[in-house]
Amino acid sequence: MCNTYLPFPMKVERIITENPDRTLRTFDLSFINEEDREKFIYMPGQFCEFSILGKGESPFGIASSPTEEGILKFTVSRTGSVTREIHYLQEGDIVGIRGPLGNWYPEQLMQNEDVVIIGGGFAFTTLRSMIVYMLAHRERYGKITVIYGARTPEYFIFKEELETWDARDDITLHLTIDKPYPGWEKLVGFVPTVTGEVNLDPKALVLVCGPPVMIKYTLPVLTKIGFKDEKIFTSLERRMKCGIGKCGRCGIGSKYICIDGPVFSLAELNKIPEAF
Amino acid sequence: MTELQNKIRELLEDHTVDLVIGWENGSLPLVSSPVFIKKAEDAGKVNFDVTCRNNLTTYLTKDRRQLGKDYQKIGIVVKGCDARSVVLYVTENQVKREKVFLIGVPCQGVLEKKKIFDICEGREVLEKRVEGENIIFKGHAFEIKVPFNDVLSDSCLGCRYPDAREFDAFIGTPRGELEKKDEFKVVDDFEKKTPEERWAYIKDEYSRCIRCYACRNVCPSCYCNECFVDHNDPQWIGKTPEVTDNIIFHLIRNLHLAGRCVDCGACVSACPVNLDLRIMNKKVEKEMKDRFNYTAGLDINEKPAMATYCENEKQDFIMG
Amino acid sequence: MYKFKIVYLPEFLEYLQEKYTLWAPAKSGTETEFKVISSFAEIDQSRLNTTLNPKEIFFPRREVLFSYDENGIKTPPPPEKPVAVWGLRTCDTRSIRMLDEVFSNAHQMPEKEMFKDPYWINKYADSLLISQACRQPLSTCFCNWFNSGPFDETGSDIFVIKGEVNYYLKGISDKGQEVLAGFAKAEQTDEKDAAEIKDLQAAAESYMSPALDISDLKSKLDKIWDDPLWEEIGAKCINCGACAYICPTCHCFDVSDEGKAGKGKRVRLWDACMFQLFTKEASGHNPRSNSLNRVRQRVMHKYNYFVDNYQKFLCTGCGRCVSVCPVNMDIREIIKKILAHEI
Repeated sequence: MCNTYLPFPMKVERIITENPDRTLRTFDLSFINEEDREKFIYMPGQFCEFSILGKGESPFGIASSPTEEGILKFTVSRTGSVTREIHYLQEGDIVGIRGPLGNWYPEQLMQNEDVVIIGGGFAFTTLRSMIVYMLAHRERYGKITVIYGARTPEYFIFKEELETWDARDDITLHLTIDKPYPGWEKLVGFVPTVTGEVNLDPKALVLVCGPPVMIKYTLPVLTKIGFKDEKIFTSLERRMKCGIGKCGRCGIGSKYICIDGPVFSLAELNKIPEAF
Repeated sequence: MTELQNKIRELLEDHTVDLVIGWENGSLPLVSSPVFIKKAEDAGKVNFDVTCRNNLTTYLTKDRRQLGKDYQKIGIVVKGCDARSVVLYVTENQVKREKVFLIGVPCQGVLEKKKIFDICEGREVLEKRVEGENIIFKGHAFEIKVPFNDVLSDSCLGCRYPDAREFDAFIGTPRGELEKKDEFKVVDDFEKKTPEERWAYIKDEYSRCIRCYACRNVCPSCYCNECFVDHNDPQWIGKTPEVTDNIIFHLIRNLHLAGRCVDCGACVSACPVNLDLRIMNKKVEKEMKDRFNYTAGLDINEKPAMATYCENEKQDFIMG
Repeated sequence: MYKFKIVYLPEFLEYLQEKYTLWAPAKSGTETEFKVISSFAEIDQSRLNTTLNPKEIFFPRREVLFSYDENGIKTPPPPEKPVAVWGLRTCDTRSIRMLDEVFSNAHQMPEKEMFKDPYWINKYADSLLISQACRQPLSTCFCNWFNSGPFDETGSDIFVIKGEVNYYLKGISDKGQEVLAGFAKAEQTDEKDAAEIKDLQAAAESYMSPALDISDLKSKLDKIWDDPLWEEIGAKCINCGACAYICPTCHCFDVSDEGKAGKGKRVRLWDACMFQLFTKEASGHNPRSNSLNRVRQRVMHKYNYFVDNYQKFLCTGCGRCVSVCPVNMDIREIIKKILAHEI
């Protein structure tokens, strides 16, 4: 019988500290057992439970793309006891992973459509996964526009990749920071404001992911531009334990974020009490 | 309308208070229910009888603290022990005395469900009636008459101060201070046992705890914003309902209540599995009495025992 | 339908023990709860409802998911014998069947193996649930609100009625019938027995208060999510977990690690939506920080959200929460208030 409560082992291959105050780190993990690697079939938007035995586990969106074979990437912000232990990890350490869990961004619906991706802060992880996936299958999608905001230039994650994307002509990247910063020549302003200013085509499908306050103020802007609720998708976060719709923790209305989500359309969320 | 109800109506009508916390008849014959009265016309709901086990002052603290913000002044019906909780709150700077209006009632003691269950041999009580010194329980095909004292809670049997000593209005005839020679008898008896026997008893009792925290949540003195059991980082105590962690929870709670437990019995009556939660609280109360001659909630001007230091205090615990 | 003399119960239980691990109500301090019993003498059926509920049998308050050490992780071995439970009430049995939908039936996605809970399934598979008719329901019982009653056989493998001299036993499932057919002391019932059973049932039902019509409850709850009514309902709740822990259908749990990095166990523990900590995130943010929101969550989960997902209420009307609540939050009164509430 399949036992989803059991983590499988993965090895920490590479650790990247993403920001100057060292609260954000990205971990590249490699599979130890071949059968775990084969079974791990996922799509951008899904998440895993990241385990440190003896300390517990926490859910994180998968930042790598299925097209990057053999590794899984997670960006972890140091906030509580489990994430602190994760930050103590060294390259070569073994961790436990359960997943992939949850649903994913509506990749099927995105095919042959223009796609707008709006992200903020370190919640850019699963969006990064989606972008890498789309660029690997570039012919499937229409125009790709990315709006990504951070406090200062130093707080963008995946900085090197952002530069390579910026250099490409098959993806439009709008990077914005909250306040003017010495040497910054790109956009300045909060994500909701920028969203209203970059001439988005309301026919596109939108993926929004970021801090609750960013989502709260971005959604009305999108609606005003003319995006339909059915075409706006976002990813929710709550405390989670089991990841398979049993433990009751991540319930919002009659939905469980771990199995019915984390990705929901705005049309779905409007029907769920407690979603925001 | 009773005198108590009239008083409450009056207080709400003349805006002395804008909320009264009292008891009303519960949905079961042996249970009363806390009730929040905001309108004078609802004053008639309030009742006080032998089923009013809850210490309503617990609603003044914890995440109910906002009651103090939402209401200018809160009226609260208090038994002797409940009034002592308010005194404790005032001495511990949790509640401002002028923010509450205490409606004292003389308390005859409250019933203990467990004792009734035993006396009625597990049969369900559908009706109760107080008759002089006796109380009558009726159920399907049985009727039992027992002396009132046989079914009073242990806290009430050991109670010395049945009347609210601190009050703004007193309804009824005060019973005065009661002479209780054997207030700590239960502790004395327990202390006569061998350490092994005591340990076995505590272990057996607390092994049954399901960690629902009803005892903590009904307790007026347990008002920490974050209880140590809920603290996650670092985690002080295992969350497992197993004997070791259960004992840590209960004993630390006991110690946190040193000089702060008014023996209202709310924890005992709240426990869904009827643990003996009183014995250790009473032991700590006795220690406080012996060492510091301190009894919680008696003097509104006295500093809390654990917040003061006198040079002549017994320090034999240091000497071992 | 079979019967055997009441004095043969110990023998029947021994017969069950040949094939099953037998659980039954037994004393635990002053209280009664379901325990594994070795002999008839340990059984305590002095109470109609056990204090603690039977979910413990398949979903213990603490369950080891796996242990770990330098050699890797190891799951606990599955039980050697299947479980038989004696002394269940019909509400208890129905509650176990409900939990089974959550744990084994994979959240209505039976094709998804990953959603099945192996710990529940290991214990639940091949189990034999023997429920007993309630001859004298309590005043707190309200199973009749949920189309059930003291003689409801639904969900039982074997349904037992205690008569004056006989136990009457009805095999409801194939498994139950097989067990009864194999017990040498079991005889077929006759017309006289049927008459006794009929009388007993009528007597039992006469103890029940009339059922409340709750057919509008779900649709009502759909409309009152942010109604001030919750203030009225929840004001006195002290947010302890007594109701959730003694509830036979509440099944929220926590997962926690016991031990150190090198060696220890990962366990799951009962948890309750009444607690602050249930939804409090590491950042300190709590989407359900207000006590009233937590009261609403419990009521909504039982009588609204669960209906969305499983087309039934997550409540069997056992009445345990009614009798233990320290502040008399009587769920029947709450339901009445909700139904009577004008929107």
